[in-house]
Amino acid sequence: MQRTFKLIFAIFCAGQLALQAQEFKLFERKVQVHGWVSQGFVKTDDNNWLTMDTSSGSAGMTDMGLNMSMQIADNLRVGAQVYDRNLGELGQYHPSLDWAVVDFKPKPWLGFRGGKVKTVFGLYNDTQDQDFLHTFALLPQSIYPTDLRDATIAHTGGDVYGRIPLTHGAGSLAYTVFAGHRTDTIYSGYPYLLTQFGVRFTTYGGLQYGGDLRWHTPLNGLVVGFSRLDQDTKGTGTRAGRFAEEHSIQDWTNQFYAQYTRGRFRIDSEYRRYLRDQRIQNGTNEDEDDIRGWYVAGAYRIRKWLEVGSYYSHYSITATARKLTDRSLPQAHINDKVITANFDANRFWNIKVEGHFMAGFGNAPYPNGFYPQVNPTGFQPDTNGLVLKTSLKF
Amino acid sequence: MTRLNIKIVTAAAAVALLASLTARADSVKIITNNSVQANQISVRELKSVYLREKNSLNDGTHVEPVLERSGAAHETFLKLYLKQNSDDLQRYYQSLVFSGRGSMPKAVSSDADVIAYVARTRGAIGYVSAEANTPGVKTLAVIDTLNSPERQLVTYVTPVYPDVLRQQGMGGIVRIRFTVAPRGDVHNAEVIGGNPILGEAAIAAVQRWKFIAASLSTVMEVSIPFDAR
Repeated sequence: MQRTFKLIFAIFCAGQLALQAQEFKLFERKVQVHGWVSQGFVKTDDNNWLTMDTSSGSAGMTDMGLNMSMQIADNLRVGAQVYDRNLGELGQYHPSLDWAVVDFKPKPWLGFRGGKVKTVFGLYNDTQDQDFLHTFALLPQSIYPTDLRDATIAHTGGDVYGRIPLTHGAGSLAYTVFAGHRTDTIYSGYPYLLTQFGVRFTTYGGLQYGGDLRWHTPLNGLVVGFSRLDQDTKGTGTRAGRFAEEHSIQDWTNQFYAQYTRGRFRIDSEYRRYLRDQRIQNGTNEDEDDIRGWYVAGAYRIRKWLEVGSYYSHYSITATARKLTDRSLPQAHINDKVITANFDANRFWNIKVEGHFMAGFGNAPYPNGFYPQVNPTGFQPDTNGLVLKTSLKF
Repeated sequence: MTRLNIKIVTAAAAVALLASLTARADSVKIITNNSVQANQISVRELKSVYLREKNSLNDGTHVEPVLERSGAAHETFLKLYLKQNSDDLQRYYQSLVFSGRGSMPKAVSSDADVIAYVARTRGAIGYVSAEANTPGVKTLAVIDTLNSPERQLVTYVTPVYPDVLRQQGMGGIVRIRFTVAPRGDVHNAEVIGGNPILGEAAIAAVQRWKFIAASLSTVMEVSIPFDAR
């Protein structure tokens, strides 16, 4: 906790100095510099959440990033961002390259990105780390589980993307097609979950490919879209000193979404189905997880400095390895009712106060926020939580 | 000055005063660096440039947008052309920056800063209040399509600024509504905002514009600036 506060204070001071120093010249080209730091505090009444000791109150929710980008030519841009986080037992302050991109866009309808690229998937996948871009301190965990960000956040490979105006006043289509390699850190949620069985993965990742298509409709402010992701992942490590491995049989995600913004009001909704069929325990067993999630969220900006929002999020899972087939059981679902107030002190600093009222705990072979390792006495069926979060950005 | 010219100037001054109180929609003008070849821009193109969806105009000229951080011109521009408020726009830019999909456009504090930046920066495009004096930059007409997809303008005729008004320093933005027939020629042009005398000059030019052919007629509006430098 003391280290966290010292780190936050140091970054805050550096940030105050850096707030004005956002651009400099290199080889006669302008280089933009941007960054952020966020600190959260979570208190729950019963179950410990997101690998933190939240039943006692935990400030183990910190993340930060710094990026630089440069326009080399009219159609060519390069940039990179480093990212660091700690979330309870996850992250553990191991900084990583968040993205590093060469972006060539010869036409509005055709562009190419290569490198480590944030994955465009649904409304918020590529911006889920930056809470200051959203109303909520935590995005709906049924769709954007923060403990599992490594699974979808980026791929090392490339994108083809663009935006195509439609005829007859039908709006425009924005598309992204991507392919690459996903590499999870060993400090993410799934490897951590497996440590309860003595499994310690040293590598986890694999091929990812898919696309996103969104229709900017003729009705100003209405966007609807669909994303698809296919994966072929593999994890290797040890269990009780012996080699351990698991790999995909099939692994795909479909996500549908819609967003409507009008004036100070915004409403959005997403539905995701994630089918994850794995050959586990060195090929001796199979686990098929069928994960479904959806949410409906609304937000309203009351004043320039105050925005309020609320969402209902539903997550459920069936898992063959655990013979978990009844989604109504507490261990097979999480229903989360959330209300948030977002205070924008100025254009650099915001503070959020957020309440979560969760029914269920989703304790299954694939995690979603509740881990047995930090709940050794078992789970209570319901969890109420308070999340406080502040972010400084420039 | 002849008696007729005095009447013209007096009438124009009276209308300009009235217009300044009511014509909020004509209260910003779009300016570019002199390297930009175009004389007009559509609302859709302007929006695409400011939302970082494209970095060149339809004629291939590279453009770089500049924003004002706040102020009446900024708020009017956002409301009229981007259909967003300032906070949502900032979030949008930041989502591009922090996901690696784009960069933040240049932001400055005032009309004077916008004009200075646009004047010295190749390809720069910005917006200022309509009454701002804009030496060293170009002003663009803004075309808004009301009832169907955009029609590309193939022949542009520059409006002739009446000498008597230019000499008196009387300028402003004139808004013209017109219909483009399927063959591409302009009909039913009428002044819907701004100085009517400048409007007559604008109509005389707009009536000679030619658009690309289409299956239907298209109703459009254009904001044409007259800069009394």
